[in-house]
Amino acid sequence: MNAVDVAMPQMGVSVAEGTVIAWSKAVGDSVAEDETVCEVTTDKIDTEIPAPVSGRLSEILVEVGTTVDVGAVLARIVPGDGAAQAAPEANLPVDADAVSPPSPVEEAREQRRFYSPVAKRIAREHGVELAEVEGTGRRGRVTKADVEAFVAARGASGGANGRALHSDSPYRADHEGDGDDLGGRPQTLSRMRQSIGAAMLRSQELTAACTTVVECDFSLVEQRRRALGVTALPLVAVAAIETLREFPNLNATLEGDALMVFDRVHLGIAVSLGSDGLIVPVIHDAQNLSAEGLAERIRDVAARARARQLVADDVRGGTFTITNPGAFGALIATPIINVPQVAILDLEAIVRRPVIVADEAAGTEAIAIRSMAHLCMSWDHRALDGAYAAQFLTALRMRLEGRTNR
Amino acid sequence: MATRTYLEAISEALREEMRLDERVFVMGEDVGEFGGAFKVTDGLIEEFGPGRVRDTPIAEAGIVGTAVGAAIAGLRPVCEMQFADFVACGFDQLVNVAGKMHYRLGLAVPLTVRLPTGGGFSGGPFHSQSPEAWFMHAPGIKVVAPSTPADAKGLLVAAIRDANPVVYLEHKNLYRRVKGEVAEEQFETPLRARVAREGRDLVVVAYGAMVHTALEATEDLEGASVEVLDLRSLVPLDEEAILASVEKTSRVLVLDEANATCAAGAQVAALIADRGFEYLDAPVRRVATPDVPIPFSPPLEQAVLPGVGRVREACLELLGY
Repeated sequence: MNAVDVAMPQMGVSVAEGTVIAWSKAVGDSVAEDETVCEVTTDKIDTEIPAPVSGRLSEILVEVGTTVDVGAVLARIVPGDGAAQAAPEANLPVDADAVSPPSPVEEAREQRRFYSPVAKRIAREHGVELAEVEGTGRRGRVTKADVEAFVAARGASGGANGRALHSDSPYRADHEGDGDDLGGRPQTLSRMRQSIGAAMLRSQELTAACTTVVECDFSLVEQRRRALGVTALPLVAVAAIETLREFPNLNATLEGDALMVFDRVHLGIAVSLGSDGLIVPVIHDAQNLSAEGLAERIRDVAARARARQLVADDVRGGTFTITNPGAFGALIATPIINVPQVAILDLEAIVRRPVIVADEAAGTEAIAIRSMAHLCMSWDHRALDGAYAAQFLTALRMRLEGRTNR
Repeated sequence: MATRTYLEAISEALREEMRLDERVFVMGEDVGEFGGAFKVTDGLIEEFGPGRVRDTPIAEAGIVGTAVGAAIAGLRPVCEMQFADFVACGFDQLVNVAGKMHYRLGLAVPLTVRLPTGGGFSGGPFHSQSPEAWFMHAPGIKVVAPSTPADAKGLLVAAIRDANPVVYLEHKNLYRRVKGEVAEEQFETPLRARVAREGRDLVVVAYGAMVHTALEATEDLEGASVEVLDLRSLVPLDEEAILASVEKTSRVLVLDEANATCAAGAQVAALIADRGFEYLDAPVRRVATPDVPIPFSPPLEQAVLPGVGRVREACLELLGY
């Protein structure tokens, strides 16, 4: 079998040469693919050179301290099974007898194996080595069902044939087993918690989230909500819906590069389910509803959410979400965007606070006691910029303070 | 609810819409005294008179052109092409005049053109075509193609009420072959796809008569769970519904009765390649009519049009991939 060259790599556009500073392997040693063969230095970085293939180091061509051009051959490796037996000893506590070295023919077939896009995606998401999955498709192709079955089986048994599927972390808890000397009790995450967790993480991975905050005088809202016998939430929701129609890019969804802007407002309302979690039912075409109408719908979806009676249509198709943890006394928060939507508005607690008020007629200022609250909005910087978010919040604030002409 | 044939559902949608909205009127060849070549407009002239049920000369450019003018003037014309194939004579009026009016002059053209389409009854090359893709390639025109009596009614009502020119493809071979429950009051069917049957292992994307072919071919497919997605609207195309089915099943057969090249299904396949790549577990397969005219000869026509056998074979191949 022909020897494979280990060459000085191109480590940067302007780097033309490198110096060998140490050899990790001697001639005759077994090396596994990607194992470090030697270390080199340049005027910019030091780096390790990995073996391009598994095999036996047959030749060292450049001595320590020698500087050579990029592309120069540093060493040669004869590919072979000598390394394949050596590798598990070096890496994993696997019974060497249980691992039979693959024949060159098997290796060649393995390299030709085709994986479909969906098989690769699922494997990536679950950290599966596709080479370990048995294929039942045409000519042994690994199908989606094969990967899913592999993941499911691994979940049940903790690993196919008891063999480690990944290298274990060297970290070990001081006290393993049932008890915990600090009194901690292990809990199983509920399905709802797991799915909330996955959705929140996905949002944080996908979005470039920023939070913008304005302070708003809620005196007028307080007055109106008492007159109507509703909470502040529907009044804020109606004002937000009206303001969204002036700022449609916030009433939108973004998936990849596909931005979808809506004229109609399908309003998500975050409903707490106590310690179980939360859910965001959607009030479709909320732009057609009055404050009283919206209050009624919010009461309805919240009641059905708590009774676990929401149907699929109740939670799909939201274009903008409002969350209201202020009811529990919080003053400020940075909510996580409910993807693929691009923004979430957070209504915080309404508190009595001294503020400066201007008497424009008299040209004087005074300190007064007012009902104040923070409007915090997290928004996706991929879809819009901070000025737009701030303008929206200010327009919303003006509307809630009764300072717009309508 | 009442049981209606596909043809009765179209007639009912038309009659009720004419009763509800006096701007709606019908024009076409033999639609009045004769009641239409397929009897879709039978009885309308008795109820609404020759002013609203207008027999025209055999001149499709004149029919569509007149209707475009009437639509701009505020009426809601519904034109019948006796056979979809003949719309080629009215193509310029539809594609260049109606479709571009909004963009050039800001004028709405609330026009509906009914195209009796499709083959399967030995009509030969001039009476069996499925020309929907011609209009998909012309911005400014919506294209819908119902497969059930309920959708035949709801999509025709939606087409008539739409502010844009809508090409409405009614499949001749479904006229009296398909029956179903249809709500008696008027309703609009949204221009979105419909899951005709839920499934997990494979999705067949189809529209019009091919929905029935897909359902029949996959009813008992060695235990496989096959989804059938009925597109219903080709423009706008319900991309989210298509991608959702692809994500779920990962294997796709796209079925067209039209000639294969640049057909609606080609657009579906392109969409999946572009936006659904990471969902796929097998190549996107297409079954369509080869790029030849539809033959007169019954055995030849059966060989050319996608049938249950070809669809089954393609599905089994995909399932085993």
